Amino acid sequence: MASTACFVIVSKNDIPIYEAEVGSAPKKEELAYQHQFILHAALDVVQDLAWTTNAMFLKSVDRFNDLVVSVYVTAVLCCECSTVQIFLNPLYLPGSRITSSHFDTKVRALARRYL
Amino acid sequence: MEPGLSIESGSAIRVAVLPVGGPIPSPCLRDYAALVARHACVDLASLRPYYKEHQKSPFAHQPWDAGCLRLKFVLGGCVPSPWEDFQSSRKVLAVVGICHLPSSPDLDRVAADFVDAARSYPSALASRCFAFCPTDAQLVEKKRDDIIIFPPSDQQSLEVHMLTMIQDLAASLLMEFEKWVLRAESTGTILKTPLDSQSSLGSEEVDRMGQSDPVLEDEVKYRYYTIIQLYRRATLQDNAQRSFLSLNRVSPVSFELEAALKLARYLCRRELAKEVSDLLMGAADGAKALIDASDRLILLILYIEIARLFGTLGYKRKAAFFSRQVAQLYLQQDNAYAAMSAMQVLTMTTNAYHVQSRKNNKLDHDSHKELRASNTDSGKVHPQSIVSLFESQWSTLQMVILREILMSSIRASDPLSSWSAAARLLRSFYPLITPAGQSGLASSLGNSADRLPAGTRCADPCLPFIRLHSFPLHPSQRDVVKRNPHKKDWWTGAGPSGPFIYTPFSKAAASGTSKQEVTWIVGEPVQVMVELANPCSFDLVVESIYLSVHSGNFDAFPVSVSLPPNTSKSVLLSGVPTQVGQISIPGCIVHCFGVITEHLFKEVDCLLLGASQGLVLSDPFRCCGSSKFKSVSFPSISVVPPLPLLVANVVGGEGSILLYEGEIRDVLITLTNAGTVPVEEANIALSGKNQDSVISIAHSTWKSALPIKPGGEVTFAVTLRAWHLSLADSEADGSRSPVNSRRTAREGINPFLDIHYAGPAANAENGDVSLPPGRRLAVPLNICVVQGLRLVRARLLSMEIPAQFTEAHLSPVSRKDYISTGTDTAHGDDNLLTIDPCKGSWGLRLLELELFNPTDVVFDVDVAVHLDGTNVDQKLIDEGTAVDAACQKTRIDRDYSARVLIPLENFKLPVLDASFFIKESGSTEPLGSKAAAIAERNAKAELNASINSLISKIKVKWHSGRNSSGELNIKNAIQAALQASIMDILLPDPLTFSFKLAKNGSAINVVSSKDSGNPDDDSGHFTDENVILSTKNAQRCEDLISAHEMTHMVVQIRNNTKEIIRMNLSISCKDVAGENCFDENSATVLWAGVLSDVHLEVPPLQEVAHPFSVYFLVPGDYSLQASSLIIDATDVLRARAKAESSDEPILCRGSPFHIRVVGKV
Repeated sequence: MASTACFVIVSKNDIPIYEAEVGSAPKKEELAYQHQFILHAALDVVQDLAWTTNAMFLKSVDRFNDLVVSVYVTAVLCCECSTVQIFLNPLYLPGSRITSSHFDTKVRALARRYL
Repeated sequence: MEPGLSIESGSAIRVAVLPVGGPIPSPCLRDYAALVARHACVDLASLRPYYKEHQKSPFAHQPWDAGCLRLKFVLGGCVPSPWEDFQSSRKVLAVVGICHLPSSPDLDRVAADFVDAARSYPSALASRCFAFCPTDAQLVEKKRDDIIIFPPSDQQSLEVHMLTMIQDLAASLLMEFEKWVLRAESTGTILKTPLDSQSSLGSEEVDRMGQSDPVLEDEVKYRYYTIIQLYRRATLQDNAQRSFLSLNRVSPVSFELEAALKLARYLCRRELAKEVSDLLMGAADGAKALIDASDRLILLILYIEIARLFGTLGYKRKAAFFSRQVAQLYLQQDNAYAAMSAMQVLTMTTNAYHVQSRKNNKLDHDSHKELRASNTDSGKVHPQSIVSLFESQWSTLQMVILREILMSSIRASDPLSSWSAAARLLRSFYPLITPAGQSGLASSLGNSADRLPAGTRCADPCLPFIRLHSFPLHPSQRDVVKRNPHKKDWWTGAGPSGPFIYTPFSKAAASGTSKQEVTWIVGEPVQVMVELANPCSFDLVVESIYLSVHSGNFDAFPVSVSLPPNTSKSVLLSGVPTQVGQISIPGCIVHCFGVITEHLFKEVDCLLLGASQGLVLSDPFRCCGSSKFKSVSFPSISVVPPLPLLVANVVGGEGSILLYEGEIRDVLITLTNAGTVPVEEANIALSGKNQDSVISIAHSTWKSALPIKPGGEVTFAVTLRAWHLSLADSEADGSRSPVNSRRTAREGINPFLDIHYAGPAANAENGDVSLPPGRRLAVPLNICVVQGLRLVRARLLSMEIPAQFTEAHLSPVSRKDYISTGTDTAHGDDNLLTIDPCKGSWGLRLLELELFNPTDVVFDVDVAVHLDGTNVDQKLIDEGTAVDAACQKTRIDRDYSARVLIPLENFKLPVLDASFFIKESGSTEPLGSKAAAIAERNAKAELNASINSLISKIKVKWHSGRNSSGELNIKNAIQAALQASIMDILLPDPLTFSFKLAKNGSAINVVSSKDSGNPDDDSGHFTDENVILSTKNAQRCEDLISAHEMTHMVVQIRNNTKEIIRMNLSISCKDVAGENCFDENSATVLWAGVLSDVHLEVPPLQEVAHPFSVYFLVPGDYSLQASSLIIDATDVLRARAKAESSDEPILCRGSPFHIRVVGKV
């Protein structure tokens, strides 16, 4: 199985504020779309599931073919140090895209460590 | 496996619907099929009329009142399923043919065709062939039993007709079932299935199942899982056997999937979402097993079903995801129908991905509108609510979906859909598309448009982006003024009073209360400024763009615009309101890329709002270099009935009125009523700056022309006087070359004619008189003042020409004589006294004005001294010459300068008063006295007033061309020139000397020459030469001074002060050589009387005469001069004489007086 992953932070109102395609598998554009399509579709399940459990980490909520979707639901937009930094930025409007390159590098570094 | 499976689907009777005869156009086929498919459920009660019950009917206990017969129409039929016997619901029990008669003229052939088609369904128990849209020829044909022709009619009656037909079909089916049941009971049923299933779920049990009975649900689930297990076991065995027997393997998967889907559909409720989605995910996993090409259909149906079930569950995104999977499967097939299906399926997903066509999202639209409305109400838009406007911006996915729709619609050759998809893609995602991609989209838009008929409309706008820029008020709109019915001056306080629409004071009051209101008038053109942006990298040609008005009372005028790459442009769109009412302009209609679309302003506003918050990819206007987003609130526009419309025209040129400094000119203004309503009342007032430059307005002229009928006009005159250029202006002018001196009038310095006018009051239906609004017309008087004649300098000159005293001057005075009676005969109020400058004068003061003409026209200058003081008659100083020199104006050619001399006479005050010297003498007096200070101040004020009156009396008038005339402003220059010697000009001399001929005992005033002498300073001499000239009389005068004749003369000395003056008078006479003629030793003139050291006392303001006689021995020229040494001169006299020391003798001397003595004839 290809060790590829797509990491997306979705804010309220379904707005993806950060997307990163991480992993070592050769990138195919179509595949990247497919990842996003699956993640987008999984939001329906997440939306329902998030209210039935206290856990912030919902293991594999959805799957399609070999791709598994796991979700980390955060309470008030905070989960990880870098993200907190972003969200604490007074200039950041909730809902707009995260464009910080620093954040991007951090995410990719973390991804390399765990994949 | 097939779509739409449910547990109930087993109860439906399958009916194949087959198109027969000639080809049917797909929209027609769709309509016909829909007409048939509408009747999927036929009430048993309604079958009664058609159903003939068998006497031994097994159906006697059916629920005839409430029950129904389910029909499942399968368009195009289906291949016989191997499962038919096992699941009899799969059997096709009836066949319906559909025929489009216009394309199949031969009914026999249609019948044969139908029989052929029906033959492939051997299990069919009933068949009907429906034929639609018969031609006239087919209608008159003999009625056939095998074809049911639907007569042409409207949709409603067609539906009723079809219902009847279907009921008939259902009834005949029912009767066939009856027969079959009666027959089957005796023989028994042989159940043959490919799998020889050991268990089945009786459909009669299923029918009884309620939807929400938990016990039943558990039962269903239990049975499902049992069946699956049993089934799996059976298939394993069976497949083993089959492979052993080399038979076709039967996939176990499809049956399992089918069962899973049936269960999922049965459970499909929000509360069981988790369970259902697990089932569906399991089913989707099962798809992995369907890898054969032959399984593609099953996979397709599986995805369709999963999508449907997720949709029912409310999982829109899941449904969209599986729909897209379906579309991809369709797209793998290489035919137009599959592409069409793909396109339709993808179109269904657009809602979930928020890329829907505007055609389908009216509802969505309204919610946005409400949001906007609530936002604008609260004033500031809350960031969170903006965020919700841009919900689910998964741009990558959105682009993929749109691209797939575009691709499939191109393949399906649906140009409108592909245009719409390309438009949405380009408009929403241009920043993410490469320039090449943008051009590709543009060309696919063009290609799609080529296939569309001209004038096709599409709901989805493409480019350009259009936003409302401003509402430039058309001049005719700007001037509408609400009338105050209670005021005669109805315009006061109603509208803008100045030339500016915006005033900071009125704004503060208005902003809080309501939206801006705009009034448009029927039939008068209006304009709206919009800004277009083309953020893409290709040239955008907007074939036409005009305002979109839905209220139908507006004619918009289209314009065409071309936008180069990455540019924005402001365009003025205009139109004419046609009917009274409200107008709302939601956007523009644009004809671009061959298709007509409507672009809404508020969509772009939302977009820009999002862009300003960083929620949207890019601001199309900013990336085109346009200015920052500013929200333009749309005013509420109401259209009122036609009003009169005055148009002003300044006669003689549209441009500014070019006036030379100080010029006075009449300007004619023509008012034309360009409206369709007469002007009944009007009022003209002045406003703006420099209002004093308008001297008069011919009010009576225009008032007499009222009412001004439509098309009528009135011309009236306005008299203007050009103001004087300030120093800065003159300098600015001076720096230019004379050619450029004609400059345009500057803004904001012009006066306006404020014309308020109104039409007749309208009578409303209920008898009330309603006042339509009045209007205001501001006519700017664009006065451009240019430098005309320029005063280069003014200076004071003194001339000392002794008077030439010939016989001509010796005439007696023609008017009544006056003798030195001691009456107050201050020369000032005597009468006109003139000077002939050619004759010269002693100590004459002249004001020289040097004038330069920098313009390119000729100026005629006319200098006048306006003596309109209280004690001076209105006279011209130059009158003596003016009689014959009325035309002798000084003409100054362009670029030439000329000097004009103004004799400064007649300005002297009658009395030499001590008060003028208070300042000088005041220094010696004790200060601190308050009264003295006040007196001093008064005296100064008086002096200043005298100076000012002197200056204001001098007027330099000029004429140029036919109708330019004016006056030079030289006050300051004169003041500066006169400042130094103002005393000398204003103040009279203490003593005035004059000589008179005394003949026959009467004194004839020949010459009065007075002089105040200052022996030290000749330039201080002051001459007020009162030469009484009456030239005509002088010619005829016989009383000449001749030699060898005794001439009696009188010298008159007048005291101009208020104090008595004592003096020693001396009279001298000199010949041309300057020799003293009264010399004792060599006298050439004999005399009688005392001529030297005459002691005289002159009372204040009185005259004293001293007679003497002279006898000239030699004819020739002589000059007489009187002088007096003042004894005990007062301070005033000393001050006047500017004496430096108190013991200096003060000498007063008259001016020399020339006498020509003729010889005895």
